[in-house]
This record gives sequence, C-alpha cells and structure tokens, in this order.
Amino acid sequence: MAPRKLGIPLAVVMGAGLAFTLFPIFWLVMTAIKPPIDWNASPAVWLPSCPTFINFLTLFDPDAIREYGVGGVSQSATAAVFGSILASVASTCISVCIGLFSAIGISRYSKGSRSTPLVILSGRMFPPAAIAVPFVIIFSTVSLIDSYVGLIAVYVAVTLPFSTWMLKSFVDDLPREIEEAAMLDGMTRVKAHLTVTIPLIKGGLFSTTMLVFILNWSEFMFALVLSYSNISTIPVQLSKYVTATAGTLYGVQAALAVLAMLPLVAGGFLIQGHLARGMTFGAIKQ
Amino acid sequence: MTCEHCPLENSRENLLEASNLSKRFKSRGTLKTALDNVTFCVPRGSLTVILGPAGAGKTTALRLLAGLEKEDAGSIVLDGLNMSGVEPRARDVAMIFDNLALYPNKTGFGNMASPLRERRLPAQEIERRVRDVAAKLRILHILDRLPGTMSGGERQRVAMGRVLVRSPRLFLLDEPLSSLDAPLRIELRAEIKRLQREQGHTFLMATPDFSEAMAIADTVILLREGQVLQTAAPQELYDCPVDSEAARFVGAPQINILPAFYNEGRVRTAGISFPVPDRIALTVANLPLEGFLLGLRPENIRLESVTSTVNDGWAKIIDVEAMGLRRSITIEQQGAHIRVLTDALRGEDFSIGQRVVWRPVDTERLLVFSRKGGKNLLRPNTA
Repeated sequence: MAPRKLGIPLAVVMGAGLAFTLFPIFWLVMTAIKPPIDWNASPAVWLPSCPTFINFLTLFDPDAIREYGVGGVSQSATAAVFGSILASVASTCISVCIGLFSAIGISRYSKGSRSTPLVILSGRMFPPAAIAVPFVIIFSTVSLIDSYVGLIAVYVAVTLPFSTWMLKSFVDDLPREIEEAAMLDGMTRVKAHLTVTIPLIKGGLFSTTMLVFILNWSEFMFALVLSYSNISTIPVQLSKYVTATAGTLYGVQAALAVLAMLPLVAGGFLIQGHLARGMTFGAIKQ
Repeated sequence: MTCEHCPLENSRENLLEASNLSKRFKSRGTLKTALDNVTFCVPRGSLTVILGPAGAGKTTALRLLAGLEKEDAGSIVLDGLNMSGVEPRARDVAMIFDNLALYPNKTGFGNMASPLRERRLPAQEIERRVRDVAAKLRILHILDRLPGTMSGGERQRVAMGRVLVRSPRLFLLDEPLSSLDAPLRIELRAEIKRLQREQGHTFLMATPDFSEAMAIADTVILLREGQVLQTAAPQELYDCPVDSEAARFVGAPQINILPAFYNEGRVRTAGISFPVPDRIALTVANLPLEGFLLGLRPENIRLESVTSTVNDGWAKIIDVEAMGLRRSITIEQQGAHIRVLTDALRGEDFSIGQRVVWRPVDTERLLVFSRKGGKNLLRPNTA
C-alpha cells in the first residue's frame, strides 16, 4: 500500500490520540531515570534534573540506592527476570503448540458436537480469583506450589482456550481445499497440515503467540499466590518495592517496568511484517 | 462388471463405477441429503460431465471420489480397485477445485511442480514436465509469479497445469470454468477437450452449464437434488430427456411445456391446433381426459405476423431479445407464455406488441410428457 497523505485535521486528532496514549509510557520512562528526590516531587518534575541509571542498577544490586540515602530492599530482581522469562516462554510455547493442533483438529475434523469449542472456552468463564484458591490447595498437596512447573502448568491451562480459539479462527479462514489439494498432490494429512496449513496461518500464529506471551508475561495473581520463595516473576517483584523507611520506590519500580516492556516492544516490531492480512491472496478464485 | 446406467457399456471399459452412493451432511442440527443412492460410471478415456443446478450434489460426488469425504453408503470402484477407506493420496486421482485452491505462497512453477515433488521425481524431470504442460496451456510467462499477481484465467490455467503434470487414473474437475468471462471459457473448454482427447485421459467434470456439457461431453450425468435424473449422450439428453425437469434444464431459451389435448390426429394447445406424426398420435391417443404436457423447443416454432383485422387466433409479442444471429422472442396467447427462437437475419422484423400467429415445425421433434410426474411418454420402456 502506498503511504497516504495525512490531512491536517486528521493529523491533529491522531497526534492528540497518540499523546494521550503514550503519556503514561513517557512518564514511566522519565521516572525510571529520575533520582529519588524527583520521584514524587511536588510540583511534578517532568524531565529529571540530572538523569541517572541508579534505579536500574538497584534492580540487580539492591544496596546501590543507598548512596541517595534511601533504604533498599533486600532482594535483587535477577531471579524475577529469569523467572518471568522461563515461565512465560515455556508456557507460551506449550500453549500455542497445543492450541495450534487443537485448532486444526476442531476446525477440520470436528464432527457432530458443535459444543466442543465452547467446552474449551468454559474454563475462562470463572474469574481467576475463583480458581486461584483451589489451585493453591491442590498444588500444595501434589508439591507443585512454589515451583516453575506448577506455574507453567497454570499459565498453559489459563491461556490454552485463548490460543485454541484464536488459531481456530485463522484455520477456519483458510480454505480447506488448499490442504485437500496438497493431499491429492500426494501428501499425508499430517504432512499437508505441517507444510501447507501452518505456513499459511503464520501471521495468526505470530499474533497469537504475542498475545499469549503478553498474558503470561504480565500475569500477577497466580504468580503471587503460587510463589513463596523459590520462584518469582516480574509483576510479583514489582509489588515488593515498598519499604518501611522510604515508602514506595517509584523509580526502581519504573525501571523494572521499563525493562519488562522491552521484550514486548521488540517482539511487536519483529512480527509486524508478518501480521499483514491477505496471506492467502490469489489462492482462490474470488 | 457392468453398469446398467451406462449407455456406452459395450463400447468401452469402465474406469470408474460408483454404485449406490449416499451422503448426508449435518447442518444446523438437521441432516441434509447431498447424494441419494447415486449410481454412475465413467468409461476409460472419456470425458464425462456431471450436469446439475447448484446444490445438486455435484461437488459432493467428486469429493467422495477423491476420498476427501467418506460415503455413508455405496461403493466406489476405480480401475478395478475398491476405494473404500483409501486415503486421497493413494487413489491416484487429481482434482481441480471450484475455488482452484492454489498455494498462495508458491509461484506458478511451484504450484505445478508440487505433485511431482511429492513423488520425488528428479529436478530435471520436474522442470521438463512443468515447462511442457505450461507451454501447452500457454502460461510459460507466469511460471515465476505468485497466484496473487495472476489474472483469473491465468490462475485457472495454473490449477489445470497442476493436475496435468502427472497422469493420474482419473481427473476430477469441479466447475473449472466458472467465473471466467465467456470468450475465455469457450477457449479453455476447447482446450480441456483437446488435452483429454490427445492424451487419452479420463475426465469427470462437474458443471451447472448445460451448453458447456453439450459442447464437450461424451456422456452427461444429469443430477438433481442428489439423484441421477438421466445418463445419456448430450444429443440424446436434448432430444429425449427422461422427464420435463430434465428437458427444462437442457436448452436455452428453455423448452416450452404446455398443457395439450389430442383429438383425431391433431393436438390442441394454447389456442392453436396442428397435426402430429403418427408416432406421437399413437402415444397420446389413449391418454385420459386430463390430456398431457407438450414439450416444444423454442427453435421448432415459426412466427408470422398478421394484420390487425384478424379477430382471433393470434398471439402477442411481449418480449424480444437480440442474440446476434438469433432472436429470442416471447409471445403470449390465451395466458400461455411461449418462447420462440427465430433467425435474425432472415424473415421479418418483430417488435413488442405486434400480433403474430405461430405454428410448430419439425413436429417429429415434439416431446410428450405425462400430466402427472412429467415422464417422457415417447421414451421406450418408461413406466
């Protein structure tokens, strides 16, 4: 598509919208590089007087902030960052893989019962808080609490309905005749799905992966109730920057939040090109 | 192995025999019958056409033969082998889907080479065969383009090329020419016929277009609402349809079917009466009082203009459609609408509102259907 020229009124409206949307992010990034004195200064300090990386440093060396005369927290964020990466990446991979094959199965081979997809989604009808407590009790009994295996299992269980449904809609959109032509060309069913179906829903696969990853990456409640000391994730770690002596460490929180944003922004840019619609343009007559 | 429905059973061996095929689909809780006890066969090396309106079950029949759907009942014997439970890839059939189903991410060459690559042919052989077929289909220039950049006709040819690169037992073509513009359609259908004859392939093609079927078919299987109405050579289907439904489906403008009565060598219908040949007279003479239905092809009617002083016995022209060499005229007499096909170059100029008289010519070609059920009464051994 050729770039379109933007009219002045539209440009103003879109500019205002952008400013509105991006302001919290601007504030977050600014806070992350503010020294403690500027964190909750009144009147507000928009741009830090002397930008510093001390907040980022404090994340991994809790005592670094003391040079500003602020009491630190004892725990480094390193474990939380690695915990988040482990839990999110593993659960996203598992969820999308299972979801992909369920989606193909439901879309192409589901016979009779039209309620199967609804049954899958029914797990999402309960508010997470309602199932959190049972999970804690069950996981305590089977020793899955305070372990990454347990957390990943919960994340997969929670996001699988999303990935299945989302991927199913992409498979539904793909004319089944393309796979059938492949089978008549000499492929087995499995090979037709692996080499024809999946590459053609690549865009859907990327966007589903991204969505599921965001869900897992920012999940707070399950991570909180299922973790004691062995495991941690970034959202849980964020809640820990409250000290008795210095109140909330806004700058350190902001720094961790900025770090947490990075993989999502990077991922968004990476898959941007694959999200284009019309992957199957030309496959069928119309 | 014989097939009673096959008019050509003695002349050629049957490649395909489909017996008593039934298929029902569940849609919104109700079972819809797509095929109901359908039996037909395809002689080796023939071009057989399944003709029928939308929803007749044409696509379902082809999908069953390709193994893409499983039949509820019945059997498919292909080349002497029972195909029940055989995977699509093991059936050695090729199919052109009505939506073409090209690989959107592969070039014209990639699409056409795909069945050969699956069979692990050497690259040079693949290259040679694809170029060979592409040359025949005149698509050499689009081999390195993606389907998205091709025109409708080019995509159609690539889809055709993809099945022609190999020589399967049976080619299934599901409305391969629909949605193309008329000149291209006519060109491509001639090409299909030529390729089929030259290579001695066996084609089974589904189409809703009777003129396409008439133009290229060796045998036509007329399908309606999941049942085979008639299996016949195209001309036989036209001249001797099994019933009034079949007669209506074949021919354009549509055949006129008028209530008629017989009395002493003459047939009376829509305000006129005329003598009929003995063959027809014998058939209709003993019919009950309710009479019969007369099938009158539009091309077997002549019109003559009359002066307005004639008081009765005339028809009024209510519509004239120019069709180039011919003109399609609709006249009305005693409430009956009658379609007439006239020669546009010879004879008079007719215009809407004009008064005319009409008479059947070639009365040997008249068709007679029963009043109830519409069965063709002139066909031998019809009950």
